Amino acid sequence: MKKLTLAISALAAAFGATAAKAEVSVSGSGSAAYIAPAGSGDAQISVGQFVSFGLSTTTASGMTISGGMGLSNTPTLNNSQAVSGGKTLTFATGGATIVVGDVEASDTPGSVGGLVGDEVDDLGGLNTNVGSGFADDDGLGVSFTTALGSSTLKFVYVANDDKDDVGGINVAGSNALMSAGLTVPMGAYSVSVGVADSDTGESSSGASVSAAIGGGTLTVGYSQQTLKTAEKSTAASYALNTASSSAAVVTTAATNGDLDVDGDTTVLGATYAMSLDADTSLAVGFQNAKDADNDSTSQFDATISRALGGGASVFLELRNLSGDASQDGSAIAVGTRVSF
Amino acid sequence: MLKSFISLALSLFMISCSQGIKGGNLEKNLEETDKIYGRCNNPYRTMTEVEKEICRGKVGAAGPDGKVKDPISLTGVFDKFNNPSKNIVYAGLSGNKYLWQGSLLVLESYPLQTVDSQGGFISTDWIINKDEPNRRCQIKINVVSEELISTGVKTKLLCQEKDNDQWYPDSDPLVEEEKKITLTILEKAQELSNIADRS
Repeated sequence: MKKLTLAISALAAAFGATAAKAEVSVSGSGSAAYIAPAGSGDAQISVGQFVSFGLSTTTASGMTISGGMGLSNTPTLNNSQAVSGGKTLTFATGGATIVVGDVEASDTPGSVGGLVGDEVDDLGGLNTNVGSGFADDDGLGVSFTTALGSSTLKFVYVANDDKDDVGGINVAGSNALMSAGLTVPMGAYSVSVGVADSDTGESSSGASVSAAIGGGTLTVGYSQQTLKTAEKSTAASYALNTASSSAAVVTTAATNGDLDVDGDTTVLGATYAMSLDADTSLAVGFQNAKDADNDSTSQFDATISRALGGGASVFLELRNLSGDASQDGSAIAVGTRVSF
Repeated sequence: MLKSFISLALSLFMISCSQGIKGGNLEKNLEETDKIYGRCNNPYRTMTEVEKEICRGKVGAAGPDGKVKDPISLTGVFDKFNNPSKNIVYAGLSGNKYLWQGSLLVLESYPLQTVDSQGGFISTDWIINKDEPNRRCQIKINVVSEELISTGVKTKLLCQEKDNDQWYPDSDPLVEEEKKITLTILEKAQELSNIADRS
């Protein structure tokens, strides 16, 4: 009996290293939406499609190395087909992930409340005067994400914000930036904290608390960002072109940035997400932001999505913006998304 | 600064090779943070803009339960064309597929008497060691859960002793051996799940 059971117990030793496995995968999505923008802008229809090719291999020790590229026709710009990706390589184990290449720092830690997709965000015609976020938050660098028990920790270091995948490290004329974020479950709550810092002098910090309440998830967050107007004034802003029925073109000029003085931007926000039934998700978000120019806005987002099966869903998204904005009001998008 | 960061990151990466620091599972933790930020906007995940857009489509199609459809594996498609005999189709599999696959892999060295994918039940034929011809054992495995959980698989070892050409049940409890087999199945199932998640 002992020898037989020893033989059976030896099964565990037989399953050591995992054989190396290479994989190529493809996934995609499409969308079509009707957008009713704020103000006097014309209603729009937008269609977009995305295809992502994932490349991965698993080494004998179980580490996965992956990359990928994508094809896109973005729904926010007419006739905008593009090839993208191929700028990162990811090394992943069961406990940690390192990404090398074009990485993005978390420059607005604690900022919650924004929920709508690009159809409303970019085509909805709304334009806040509040400046937020670093002027440049990504570039050539490294990110590291790991599990600390049930907590999650992420470091990002961008060595050159002027480059994405090939470039010098800490070269003159470019800026380096870093961010760190930690999420810790504490009983019924999850607490997230984060900081970010850039060679430009911009920095940020923030925190959020999340809890399961009433069948959904409530998240409340606060973010404080120290921003430089010199950085903001070089950032492009939103421009709305409208064509009236008489073919005259009215152009709302793009502002030269949303910040006129150096100083702090504060963002206080909350979101609540829940499911209405097995196929329907609802989320609402609120955000109040104020910058060093004393511009302040209040923003309310609502999204509802219903799965239709077969990879398709329909959605309705709404944003209302009030306060100091070159275009305030409400914008709505309704449409469908398909996953392939 | 960069050298220090890379050194620290590589050191922590090596420490957290198969499990995170202090034994964490990163993918499981990311799924918890998905509930806070939404999968597509989760700052702890790294996604390109194309991947974020595809993510939004998947999340919408999945609904509140968050189960998203796996991407089409091109290598799997070509593999099925080139090696049709390797196709494994679990018609009407009632339990978790990783626990099922793990159980089959654990028992692949032994002749199988019953393989019931609909009922989630596998049993080997009687296993006899030539050094112990008067003893034989049979392994029975039941996959009882659709989720990959530690209680999702039950293992039973039946052993018999031969006396005067008659086989009688062995009364010795085999709890430890059953536990070892169960743990091996769970480990293998987790490996298969991790591979599927990464691909």
